[in-house]
Amino acid sequence: MSLETLLSVSIDFDTSHTVFPTIVAIVLGILLAAILATRSRAILATIGSTPWWPAKIDHMRFFGTLAGTVLYFIAMPWVGNFYPNTGLGFYICSIPYLFAMSVLYLNQRDKRHLLIAGLNALIAPSVVWYLLSELFNISLP
Amino acid sequence: MDFLSILTPFFFTLVASGTVIGIIFGAIPGMTATMAVAVCLPLTYSLGLENGLALLLGLYVGGISGGLVPAILLNIPGTPSSIATTFDGYPMTQKGEGERALRIAVISSFVGGIISLAALFFFAPALADFAIKFSYVEKFLIIFFALTVMAALSSNMLVGVFSGVLGIFLSLIGAYDISRGGNGELRLVPEFLEYYLEGGFSLLPVLIGIFGLSTILIEAESGMKDEKGLSSVKIGKGKRFDFSVFKGQFVNLIRSSGIGTFVGILPGVGGSAASILAYSQQKNFSKNPERFGKGEPSGIIASESANNGLTGGALVPLLSLGIPGDSTTAILIGAFTLQGIQVGPLFIGNNPVTWDAMIVAMLAANIVMLIVMIFAIRHIAKVVMIPKNILFPIILMMCVVGAYTINYGVMFDVWTLLIFGLFGYFAHKIGLEIAPFIIGFILGPSAEIYFVKSIESFGTLSIFFTKSWIAVLLWILIALSVWFSVAISRKKKRDLTASGN
Repeated sequence: MSLETLLSVSIDFDTSHTVFPTIVAIVLGILLAAILATRSRAILATIGSTPWWPAKIDHMRFFGTLAGTVLYFIAMPWVGNFYPNTGLGFYICSIPYLFAMSVLYLNQRDKRHLLIAGLNALIAPSVVWYLLSELFNISLP
Repeated sequence: MDFLSILTPFFFTLVASGTVIGIIFGAIPGMTATMAVAVCLPLTYSLGLENGLALLLGLYVGGISGGLVPAILLNIPGTPSSIATTFDGYPMTQKGEGERALRIAVISSFVGGIISLAALFFFAPALADFAIKFSYVEKFLIIFFALTVMAALSSNMLVGVFSGVLGIFLSLIGAYDISRGGNGELRLVPEFLEYYLEGGFSLLPVLIGIFGLSTILIEAESGMKDEKGLSSVKIGKGKRFDFSVFKGQFVNLIRSSGIGTFVGILPGVGGSAASILAYSQQKNFSKNPERFGKGEPSGIIASESANNGLTGGALVPLLSLGIPGDSTTAILIGAFTLQGIQVGPLFIGNNPVTWDAMIVAMLAANIVMLIVMIFAIRHIAKVVMIPKNILFPIILMMCVVGAYTINYGVMFDVWTLLIFGLFGYFAHKIGLEIAPFIIGFILGPSAEIYFVKSIESFGTLSIFFTKSWIAVLLWILIALSVWFSVAISRKKKRDLTASGN
């Protein structure tokens, strides 16, 4: 068998969408196996010596960010449905979201810092909403 | 219309305003040059073509340049093309040399912009002719070359390549693009997500998620400590900037600007690939590759001259073929369409005044960018010097705005932002390389089309070696790149063993 015959390939158009993903998946599998084979000792040592996630992380700030962001994403289109094509879903939800995140990230929760966080939560979404939604007519949730 | 008659004070005011607004857009993480151009595109309705282009080209140059500010000060690339600037820019900021890094980056950006502009002006037709001749085979090999170069960037070659291939794999989710010659069939999509993922994951929400949200999650898990806060970053407390840093960097500047321009010319191989390629080539040619990633000025010079080199290069295929060189120039097509002008091979010949006005606008934008960023860098830097508890919630909000607006109001793009924010966070945890992943994700769909179409056309794998002298040259470059990577890896191991002994 000649080299040319060996390198000959034909692709059926109907199944052509699977050709490249299959090749990439095989390469990915080979690379993963190679990483495991060459670095298994280092990987096992790391797993054995380091605490399992999410130990030793700031649970309040990390999960607070995640929970707040998910709530924000759910609330925006829901509120936006009451005021269609106005961007108010984004505006109304961004104010409490920004305030909650600012307070969550504060290390020193005194009156002054809380006041700044509150002003930031009011001003930033107002400016963004006005500029994008009102001035440039860009669609917001 | 007379060329000089369009160069009014209003024309230059528009260039200057566009550049300044672009810098601010680029400097705010989550906002990009693409977004700046998209946001201001409707304003060009009433401005006319030349004045409209003056504003948009200012935004383009400013937006690409502004991306260096958060890349250096926050480790978040303001634009995808600033990815490689983070590698050495942020370590310099950590050493108190932020202002020095910013000034090095600004001057490199200016040089890159001017060199690419000269290339655009003098060699546009010839360069475009050269790029037109590339078939799918050569285009696939260029992507393959980019992937091998990625390995040189990674701390572990195998992990770097794995990350890049994983990026390609995830980019293939969705339909095999019918507009580019695919059969339109879905793959790698669960049935319940078919409606949302027909077009795959959008690039911008993926980028914003990985570089915006995941950065905030990483900060959140460590408690947003004040002593490491942005407010405590003294950007000018370390070594001061002086021009001696550019001594011996002439070749780097020319090579990186050239790479940026060349990559910009190739349709579909744009943005971050230019800066990554220039960075890794500088790393490969450097006598001290071990300094890269730890605050090496020549790394910033390579990345920034290349990404601004892209601005002129990306306009070549746009103005000669009607094919955008990157996402921002794709939006620029909208400006021509608004004015009823078709960009393509006949554009320059039929619209000499507009062509000259574009060159003047680009030149003016680069000069304004240099002046504004050199003299007002401390004020611009303040955009990212706001305390974390104030800045990060705003970034989160802007990430949402960017993700939602990029496809004109798709809520799934906002969820994509969260998905890839979490992906970026866990990738950071397990040590995956983000830069190769992103490059793989950007180039994946093009690589697929080029590979499959090449085989469909020629029916043999040997075509990748025998198609043309360009293909042979690319294989030589690929081999050299792998050789450099292996040599550097071996040297690193030898040095480690030597220091261990």
